[in-house]
Amino acid sequence: MVFVLLGVSIIVFTLSRGFPSAINPLGQYITPKTRPEDIEQIKKIHGFDQPLPIQYFYWLRDVFRGDWGYSFWAQGLPTNEVFFSRFPYTVELAIASVILTVVIGLPLGIISAIRNNKIPDHISRIIALTGYSTPAYWFGFILQLVFFYYFFLWGLPHLPSSLALSQAFEGTVPQVTGIPVLDGLLAGNLGYTMDALAHLILPAVSLAFISLGYLARIIRASMLEVLRQDYITMARSKGLKERVVIYRHALKNALIPAVTLTGLFFAGLLGGAMITEYVFAWPGVGRASLLAINQQDTNFIMLYTLVTAAIIVMANLVVDVAYVFLDPRIKY
Amino acid sequence: MTSKRVRTSELQATIADLKFTLYMLSKNPLVVIGSAISIFFVVLALVANLIVDPAVANQFDFQRSYAWNNPVINWGPLAKTVGGTTHPLGTDGYGRDLLQMMILSLPLDLRMAFVIVTASATFGIVIGAIAAYAGGILDEAVLRITDIFFAFPGLVLALVFAALFGKTIDTLTIAVLLVWWPPYVRLIRGQVLAEKEKAYVEALRAMGAGHLRILFRHILVNSIYPLLVQATLDIGGVILTFSALMFLGFSPTPALPELGNLASEGITHVFDAPWLILFPGLTIILISLAFNLVGDGLRDVLDPRLRR
Repeated sequence: MVFVLLGVSIIVFTLSRGFPSAINPLGQYITPKTRPEDIEQIKKIHGFDQPLPIQYFYWLRDVFRGDWGYSFWAQGLPTNEVFFSRFPYTVELAIASVILTVVIGLPLGIISAIRNNKIPDHISRIIALTGYSTPAYWFGFILQLVFFYYFFLWGLPHLPSSLALSQAFEGTVPQVTGIPVLDGLLAGNLGYTMDALAHLILPAVSLAFISLGYLARIIRASMLEVLRQDYITMARSKGLKERVVIYRHALKNALIPAVTLTGLFFAGLLGGAMITEYVFAWPGVGRASLLAINQQDTNFIMLYTLVTAAIIVMANLVVDVAYVFLDPRIKY
Repeated sequence: MTSKRVRTSELQATIADLKFTLYMLSKNPLVVIGSAISIFFVVLALVANLIVDPAVANQFDFQRSYAWNNPVINWGPLAKTVGGTTHPLGTDGYGRDLLQMMILSLPLDLRMAFVIVTASATFGIVIGAIAAYAGGILDEAVLRITDIFFAFPGLVLALVFAALFGKTIDTLTIAVLLVWWPPYVRLIRGQVLAEKEKAYVEALRAMGAGHLRILFRHILVNSIYPLLVQATLDIGGVILTFSALMFLGFSPTPALPELGNLASEGITHVFDAPWLILFPGLTIILISLAFNLVGDGLRDVLDPRLRR
């Protein structure tokens, strides 16, 4: 894990500092009015005149001291402060869309497997595959267009199209967790919670629609495999009801790969669904990282890629450990 | 040395296998539909420049921009009508016919998808297969490097790369390639590790076959199916990623006829001219869905666990 994180940081560091012609790390410190001698001074202070490996070690030393530098994109606030103030929003979106994915994807996969190669299987296959054939930004815009704009035109109750909370509610509830829905519940403010939930619907649906296909396909494949095994024939020949065979006997074993996939999805979403967050102006880390890339804010990009990489590596580890509990045949 | 007779019987076995696979595929209506659509799009892409003059893409007529003359669907007060020729799918912001632009964008999109998938699959297969076959330090090193790329938020790497080296089709291709090869390494590695312990490999070794011959003529041939499935599924994925890059503002020129670019160009006028994002987006879905249907069907048919 340490190795992976070091590797990731070296690649991003080299990409962001090694090619001064394209992304100039000095860019954030100078204005057109800065005098040339001042530029030299700035270069010296921040170590930009040193060779790249030495710059990297300075950077690494600062990181271990908890100093991630200042974020140019966020008007010079400390990078880690900016990041962690936005992280709860991403967590909220990730949890909501994973719940939706499982709630829709799981039945879809099971139906697909028990009605294999029949009409329900075809329908579920089309839904699943359409989900992951759809461009995320496109689907987001279509949802906004229909549920916000057209519903508004037609005089129907319409859903909010952007941000995580209405402006009227902002700051009315103490920020305990930073997650709007949870904060509203903790404060017992129903209006606040409902508003936060309403804002959550469209982005979560748009993310879930794209990911539920993978889950449905995996569940179908592993269900089909399990259903062919002898113990299922045994259960059936004992005279058990088909429902009991499928939900008690088959599903338990078929769920193991699905758990892995869901875990990895969640990890990926915690890293921020950049495009969906961008489309819905969601104040999470994914959108922040996109804006940071546009403004060449190298400090923020470094922190973002490292945290995301760490989450993914951790998730892989957790999934491996979870396997041992789920499948007693596996031993390490 | 294999005699001629053995060769022909081998060939017959392969053909029989292929026939069986095709038969299984043809039993699934969705796969048939998917293949028909993908073949249709590939053919359309090949003849696109004959149907529509590529020079049309550079003929701007701002008088005609955001026009909707289609009598079948009516967008109501939103759509403005401009007299003269009809545009079945309306016109874009530059006054070009949207249908023509979509046809013109097919060659670029599909070529990009095929190039990226082929290149990353080849790269991944060669690296992964050699590493898995050789084992030891080489395997370990390749595995660690792939781990690094796996842990990367893929889009960030591509975006940073594209931001660094400029917005041209070539850099975008390399940027997508950069994040696309690691899954192939993992896939082929698992396959080769399983295959190389089998008895036939030992027999080949006893026969005196060289490493290269064992790996590339025998082991790879036996482990290629999952990669084939993955590659088919990835064609849709590459088109999606590519169009996402366009949406995020990495298009070389705003007027480039490319499906993702057409859709994202339409976003600024989404309330006046919703067809501009609707039709290119639907085309992206249709192409990628078609290839995914084929890939998904292939996986069902080629999966040895389900093939009984």
